[in-house]
Amino acid sequence: MVSFVTRRDFTRGGVALGIAATALPRPAISANDPIRIGWLAALTGPSSTPAIGFDRGVRYAVQQINAAGGVKGRMIELVTRDTQGDPTKAVNATQEMISRQGVHAIWGPTNSGESLAVTPIMARFKMPNMHPCVVDSLIDAVKYPNAFRLAPSNGQWDDAVRSYCLNIVKAKKVAVIGDTTGYGVSAVNASVAAFRKDGADVVYQAQIDATQPDVMPDMLRMKNGGAEAIVVWSVSAAMEARLFNARDTLHWDVPFVGHPAMGTGDIKGLVSKPANWDKVYIIGYRSCSFDASGKLPDHTQAFVDSVKGKIELADTSLWWVVSGVDVINLVAKAVAETGSTASPDIIGYWNTVKDYPGLFGDFTFTPQQHNGYPTSEVVMSKANSAHMGAFELAPGYAS
Amino acid sequence: MLPNIIAAGLAIGAVYALIGVTYNVMFSASRVMSFTAGQLGMAGGVLGALFITRLGVPAIIGFPLALGGCALLGVVTEIVAVRPVLSSLEKHLYVLSTLAFALMIQQFTAIEWSTEPQPFPRLFGLGNGGVADEKFWLPVIACAVSVGGLEFLYRHTLVGRAFLAIAEDNFAARALGLPERNLRMASFALAGAIGGLAGFSAGELLLAFFANGALLNFYGFVPVALGGLGNNRGAVIGGLGLGLFQQAANFIVGGVFASVAVFAVFIIVLLAAPQGLFGVPPARRV
Amino acid sequence: MMSAARQDVAALPDAMARGLVLLGRALPWVALLAVAITLPFVANNYWAVIASRAAIYWVLVAGLNLVVGFAGQLAIGYVALLTLGAYTSSVLVARLGLDPFVSFAAAGAVGAIAGVVVGLPALRLRTFYFAMTTLGFATIVTQVALAWQSVTGGGVGVAGPVMPAPFDTPWGFYVFCLVCAALSTWVTMNVARSRFGRALVALRDAEVAAEANGVSKPALLLSVFLLSGGSAAVAGGLFATLQSYITPDAFTFDLSVLFFIAILIGGRGSILGPLLGTILLTVLPEFAAPLVAWSTFLYAALLLAIVLLMPGGIADLLDFRNRTALADDRAILPRPALLSAMLDHIAARDSIMLRGVVLSFGGVRAIDGLDLDIRPGEVHGLIGPNGSGKTTTLNVISGFNAPEAGTVLLGTAPMRAGTPWTRAAHGIARTFQTPRSIGEASVLENVMVGGTIAGRGTLLESLFTLPRHRTDERLLTERGMQALRIVGLDALAGVRADRLQHSELRFMEIARALMLHPAFLLLDEPAAGLSAEEIRRLGELIVQISRRGTGILLVEHHADLIFDICDRITVLNLGRQLAAGTPAQIRAHKEVVSAYLGG
Repeated sequence: MVSFVTRRDFTRGGVALGIAATALPRPAISANDPIRIGWLAALTGPSSTPAIGFDRGVRYAVQQINAAGGVKGRMIELVTRDTQGDPTKAVNATQEMISRQGVHAIWGPTNSGESLAVTPIMARFKMPNMHPCVVDSLIDAVKYPNAFRLAPSNGQWDDAVRSYCLNIVKAKKVAVIGDTTGYGVSAVNASVAAFRKDGADVVYQAQIDATQPDVMPDMLRMKNGGAEAIVVWSVSAAMEARLFNARDTLHWDVPFVGHPAMGTGDIKGLVSKPANWDKVYIIGYRSCSFDASGKLPDHTQAFVDSVKGKIELADTSLWWVVSGVDVINLVAKAVAETGSTASPDIIGYWNTVKDYPGLFGDFTFTPQQHNGYPTSEVVMSKANSAHMGAFELAPGYAS
Repeated sequence: MLPNIIAAGLAIGAVYALIGVTYNVMFSASRVMSFTAGQLGMAGGVLGALFITRLGVPAIIGFPLALGGCALLGVVTEIVAVRPVLSSLEKHLYVLSTLAFALMIQQFTAIEWSTEPQPFPRLFGLGNGGVADEKFWLPVIACAVSVGGLEFLYRHTLVGRAFLAIAEDNFAARALGLPERNLRMASFALAGAIGGLAGFSAGELLLAFFANGALLNFYGFVPVALGGLGNNRGAVIGGLGLGLFQQAANFIVGGVFASVAVFAVFIIVLLAAPQGLFGVPPARRV
Repeated sequence: MMSAARQDVAALPDAMARGLVLLGRALPWVALLAVAITLPFVANNYWAVIASRAAIYWVLVAGLNLVVGFAGQLAIGYVALLTLGAYTSSVLVARLGLDPFVSFAAAGAVGAIAGVVVGLPALRLRTFYFAMTTLGFATIVTQVALAWQSVTGGGVGVAGPVMPAPFDTPWGFYVFCLVCAALSTWVTMNVARSRFGRALVALRDAEVAAEANGVSKPALLLSVFLLSGGSAAVAGGLFATLQSYITPDAFTFDLSVLFFIAILIGGRGSILGPLLGTILLTVLPEFAAPLVAWSTFLYAALLLAIVLLMPGGIADLLDFRNRTALADDRAILPRPALLSAMLDHIAARDSIMLRGVVLSFGGVRAIDGLDLDIRPGEVHGLIGPNGSGKTTTLNVISGFNAPEAGTVLLGTAPMRAGTPWTRAAHGIARTFQTPRSIGEASVLENVMVGGTIAGRGTLLESLFTLPRHRTDERLLTERGMQALRIVGLDALAGVRADRLQHSELRFMEIARALMLHPAFLLLDEPAAGLSAEEIRRLGELIVQISRRGTGILLVEHHADLIFDICDRITVLNLGRQLAAGTPAQIRAHKEVVSAYLGG
């Protein structure tokens, strides 16, 4: 018997456990061998917040599946390694999972720097890998046929932000700023190039050190340049809060558009007044957004209801939790459908996934395209509207 | 824009100067350069945020509590990392012991407090983020008060002169009956309090962030290197100069190159004047 | 300190005993090599990665060990060179399509130059300041890597070099790294056991003595920085290959700390210790998975514990040789008769002449117009009250202080002021008021430092133990044992110098001075702290040295010794000559008697 958690089960309303029809009974090759899933998680150290969120979803899904008897009688065994966001530890852990733990698939890592280092290794050993990291070059169906991306790429993020600025905010002059980390530098450069290609006027482009105590000179330059929207690519909540406060001091009402870090709960304590956090729009996902009438999509709502008291959502982002659930299900489904945990079988199955109804989105993978998240589901949200980890849609979106 | 750069430069420069003073006070007491000076600054901010924001203690009590905590940290540094190696013949062990202790403080804070900057309470609510905001002039006032207080202490009080005596000539001071060990501990407590004051007054600027320790360690050392070891006035000038240079560099060349500029200038100046711009050459060594 | 087997082996009479000692010394290395070779056959690919990483870190740490452990320069920010090497080789392979081996060599060259740049401040700055500048370099390199997007890929980084078969599998690459690590070990061990290694440690622990013995600090330090920078950069190239892709955020301050701590845990001046330390620190986190968040905290705590409790590190623990007790009732029995083996009778030569030397410290005139002659074959005593300028005079002759006025001549040629390391070449040797020795080195090694400039081989030849290096080592060892026999300390040749009594240290300094076959010997209060019998023996030794033609300047407070052995005496007071003449003349001199001798 196979049980796993899908969106379809939630639309039936209620019970998390569903029973799907099994295929013809197959001979149990290694009927009692657990399905080992490796989880490369930056659980501690800087940039650990996303991994903590993913972790909650992952553990929940594993626990649910195992409680219902596992996948065709096989239990899922989760092998977690805390990489602390360090590419060196990520490489060690990846090789350990491949050679010593004998995992059948790996979820993660959660940081692009780590992922850049481990992707070639996983490719060499043909390890089925799904990860949420944004750097575009991480996914290449020819070079890394084993790697799949479950979340949008940075290009998709950039498209959403740019389209919002140009089409909804209707800004003709924009400023693009980022922090001085590797991500900040490359994201800003890519973003500026794309804006210029679309005919917008980038009046100011800068990398601001996240520890810079006063951002007023940069804000003044943007204001003097006539920026109508400020695009922010930074993971530093502190720097972003300083930008919001500076905007208030200048009595300027330009919108900030960009990275989801502008929506983290930390910002609440860092802005000098709550109103400073208005008019900030961040990347969001339709599946985790409240529409104009304040409702989550049905399947998401059903999930939230079912995990009440079991998973803490208020201090994290909902999309992390649900993607963690989705990836476990994708692995489980691959094993269930192919009856095998061999790498070519899992990869082969993933290559056939079309409009898979995950909680996070409808995933589609083909042998040529391993970016599975549909661009249409990337939306902009109001940064200060977090409730139970989900956000309200930004103004200008049809619900 | 210029007023902002100057205000921010003076403010952050005052913080760097105060950390430089912290280095100087610790050096004066023990002839040891301690890697923990920056961590004391960080602790000032973190403890302030801990007591006032997280535990809800009123600022008037939270402030001395934070300073007291840092003074305690200074004393612990002396006991754990300085005293045991002072008697050793190996001159450079103190660099390692204080480095190790500083790292321990930093990592402990990162794990127990947070790896992300946490908010620091608004103390008086003066100014609205512009040039006259309290976050700019609090550090400057703290710096002036500390340096002025130290000058008074060293010149006009017996305790201050005792501090200087044990640093000048350890044996002679002991022969005169000065309680060397207690004086040194008191000096480190004082250094801790000054470092804590630096971090507390900078809290609204730098927030309560564990990585401030390493940042202040380096940028607080530059005033000492430029101004001459043990020279508090030189540290103030060096600190303010550094703060202004850094803010100007940020403005002109942007975040990434600004830090390169600061480090490069620091190394070059130090090579040109190893004792600092106002320092004195070391005594004979044979 | 890790020392050549020769010292204590030389002391062993029995061939079999010698063989056993060598075996015991080699045992840890043999064991390590055995583990390293059998690993591929018993372990999976995961251990290939871990073992390769340990080998790569060791390539860097072995070089850094020379800088931190041997030279005592606290280069904390060495991750800068790892970063530089990693990016250089990666960019050369990825952008220019170079062969990986060539790229490693190129990285090594770049790293060597960068190593010199990073190390330059060490020549001018004190310890803490230098440590800070290395941190500055680490930040600069990382920021440049981040900003120079067109070359380094900026935040997105660049792919690491890919090795050709058979090195492209985990175990294949491991073999390559192992060979590099073995080479690093061999090379650094050769440096340690050469006159350069001893000179480095001398610079660290007894800088003035090293300089007085002709060691040129800039030349030696920069060579070591060159070597360690190069090996660190090669390690960077290997690191990039192992990681298969590098971004700036892989090069953390934590890594610098790890390298640094490995050396300190291992023990300075040792090769085996830091090697074990590196392996320990690489492998430990893999076993302590739940503690990974605390790993840096634990490393720091470990460093603190080592510094406070066991500053000598693992090397100290493994130093069984120095655990055996020394006899309490040792006597120093010099054998002046053996001097003829070391010092040939020197024909009449130039004298050292001071004319009108003036030197002030601040407002105080330490030397106020002094004339002094040191003639070959003569024992010239220099006495006077405390603060009369005796040691300062020695320092002027040695070159540690430059006079404001007057000349210091050797024959007719003036000696360059302010350059103490040039004196040894002129055959001028000295001892110090407080013995300057290297505590953790053996007595023989300390003495061999004295002959540093007698070696002919270059550092490069020592790196690979080419013939001239071996000749030098044989020569210096023989000469050192000769000198020890002369001063009567040969029984203690293999003992750590910090276990010696004060009087033994004084005689050791004389043995060190004899290594130069000195034309002139400057002695600064050599009798201080000696017993009456020891002073008598010291006096006899000094007289015999002067009979061989060496000119001796003896600064002393012991009136008996001065009057017994000196041919001439100069009395100083307030930096000026108060009286000069034969001992009989001085004894009768009214002013000297009242001012100094009393009665």
